[in-house]
Amino acid sequence: MAYIHLDGVSKQYGSVWAVDRVNMAIEKHEFVSLLGPSGSGKTTLLRIIAGLERPTTGRVLIDGEDVTELPPHKRGVAMVFQEFLLFPHRTVYENLAFPLRMLKLPKGEIEARVEWVVGILALRGLEKRYPNQLSGGQQQRVALGRGLVGRPKVLLLDEPLANLDRELRQEMEVEIRKHQTDLGIPFIYVTHNQEEALSMSDRIAVVRGGRIEDFASRTDIYDRPKTAFIAQFVGRSNRFTGTAATAGGTISLSGDGVRIETATRPGIADGERVAAYVKNEKVRLRPASAGGAGAANTLAATVRYVILRGAYAEYVLGWSGGELVASRPRSEAEFTEGAEVVACWDAADVDLFPAPEDGR
Amino acid sequence: MKPRVAPAIFLGIPTVFLVGLFVLPLLSMLVLSVWRTENYHIIRDFSFHNYEVLATEGAYITFLVRSLVMASAVSLICTLLAWPIAYGITLYGGRYKLLFSLAFAVPFLTGEVLRIIALQGLLGPLGLLNGVLLSLGAAPLRVIMYTNVASAIGLVYLYLPIVVTVIYLSLLNFDQRLIDAATIFGASPARAFFEVTWPLNLFGTLIGFALCFIPCLSATLAPRFLGGPNGTLYGMAMAQQFGESGTWALGAAMGVVLFAVSVLLVVGVARLIDLRRTGFTGFGRG
Repeated sequence: MAYIHLDGVSKQYGSVWAVDRVNMAIEKHEFVSLLGPSGSGKTTLLRIIAGLERPTTGRVLIDGEDVTELPPHKRGVAMVFQEFLLFPHRTVYENLAFPLRMLKLPKGEIEARVEWVVGILALRGLEKRYPNQLSGGQQQRVALGRGLVGRPKVLLLDEPLANLDRELRQEMEVEIRKHQTDLGIPFIYVTHNQEEALSMSDRIAVVRGGRIEDFASRTDIYDRPKTAFIAQFVGRSNRFTGTAATAGGTISLSGDGVRIETATRPGIADGERVAAYVKNEKVRLRPASAGGAGAANTLAATVRYVILRGAYAEYVLGWSGGELVASRPRSEAEFTEGAEVVACWDAADVDLFPAPEDGR
Repeated sequence: MKPRVAPAIFLGIPTVFLVGLFVLPLLSMLVLSVWRTENYHIIRDFSFHNYEVLATEGAYITFLVRSLVMASAVSLICTLLAWPIAYGITLYGGRYKLLFSLAFAVPFLTGEVLRIIALQGLLGPLGLLNGVLLSLGAAPLRVIMYTNVASAIGLVYLYLPIVVTVIYLSLLNFDQRLIDAATIFGASPARAFFEVTWPLNLFGTLIGFALCFIPCLSATLAPRFLGGPNGTLYGMAMAQQFGESGTWALGAAMGVVLFAVSVLLVVGVARLIDLRRTGFTGFGRG
């Protein structure tokens, strides 16, 4: 029996199913992300776990107890909000002490626990300040501290880093993951930012249109996307479409001057419209003079732009079928804008799906 | 120098307005209150005689105490009524929120006299309420016939819309999601109200209270039409000094007393509450 169970949870608003028959089992030491575009229902799902929304159907179980009918304050959960939602009329100390006061802990215990949280979140010296006297990053730390101080059964995080700048966000990612490991309680983290989900999670649930598209380890989600949506949404990929042709254990699609070949997989029939995805970093480059442009999974292209991303260079390539992006470590040979190159990738790095109905 | 022009205009006009229409009349009242009036003439002798009269004559003391009790009771009732009304609008008003809050302004479209006389028709001995009671064979409700209770009903009726509007605006400004935060961290709905909703709307509530209290203190119409023989309030007595009795200087002194009481109230309240504890950030980052 998993620590947290969502059992056929659905939520209907008017005629729209914001959450649609979601089943999830989360273990006690897991860091789980709900990753999806805005409006996919991930926040509604989180609010259902918190008790802030009532599911239309289905049950929520935490630590073996059916909490579906319990109001939020009786669930023993905690939450970190995107807008922080610190109490503006209370000092940092009082904000941190709030969950403990609600638990009716003795004064000494409250002081000790706040002291502990102030220590681990580097908030010392700020205890007497009011939230509006803090920077965004400090407010975020207080919000996180308020979430941890009561030792909740589960900490729910609703895009907690969305309002922070990139550098601070990456710093906080490390910190959040560290606290989760130290405390040994499950964190459920809602985000639309794949980098955040990938950097911290044990498992990622990709949410789309109120449904769980896939719920798997972060490496599976990234390396072995189960649907076209995941292939497109997680990581950065190049997309090719065409008609599938199966022959002798391989499946290929041709079009626009490139032939893509990969091992056959179930669910794709001969003659079906398919979409193939190749992640940017799986595309290798070599100078055109090296030849070999006619082979499968290979195409001739010209470097249009080079975007430097620190340790990586992103090459935007023009080829007869449009544009292709290759992301290569700077340690490799570099190409300049205008250079003629041959781009290629391994057959194993091709993700193939029936083309989505919308034709994109 | 150019950028200084805009603030000068924006701060200057209200300053001129306040000085011209508020400070100067008030000063003239202050001056008049230490003079005296005889046979409808102002005599410019300096003395505190008017204040002595107000402090010693039983009737004036009674009027003042009665006014203070009346204003406190009416403001309290208005605040207690306004809270659930305003809260109901913010919670359940949906897309009709604006309409509801505008509906509260509708009574302002008629004159105050008209509204009070309408109420007189409702509460009086031959009024609608007692008329119905009589026709049903019941005894009329004496308590609403030209009494202080009738005055209070009139004042509540007059000022409730203002208090509702002020508290509604305060609630509109209040981030309801803070209640979510409080309940997530273990507060029951009632606890969340007293931990978060109440303190964060205390400032707005006090403004609503004061905007009811101060005009009630100097109310003249409601006691005059509804209050009956024992319903004279301070403001009503003051109006009489400027009207029938022609004792303007005494009236001016009463005005100064009312002003002083109001100022004391505001200052007292301001000292009692710590604005920070109401989430007030009007002082900017500090």
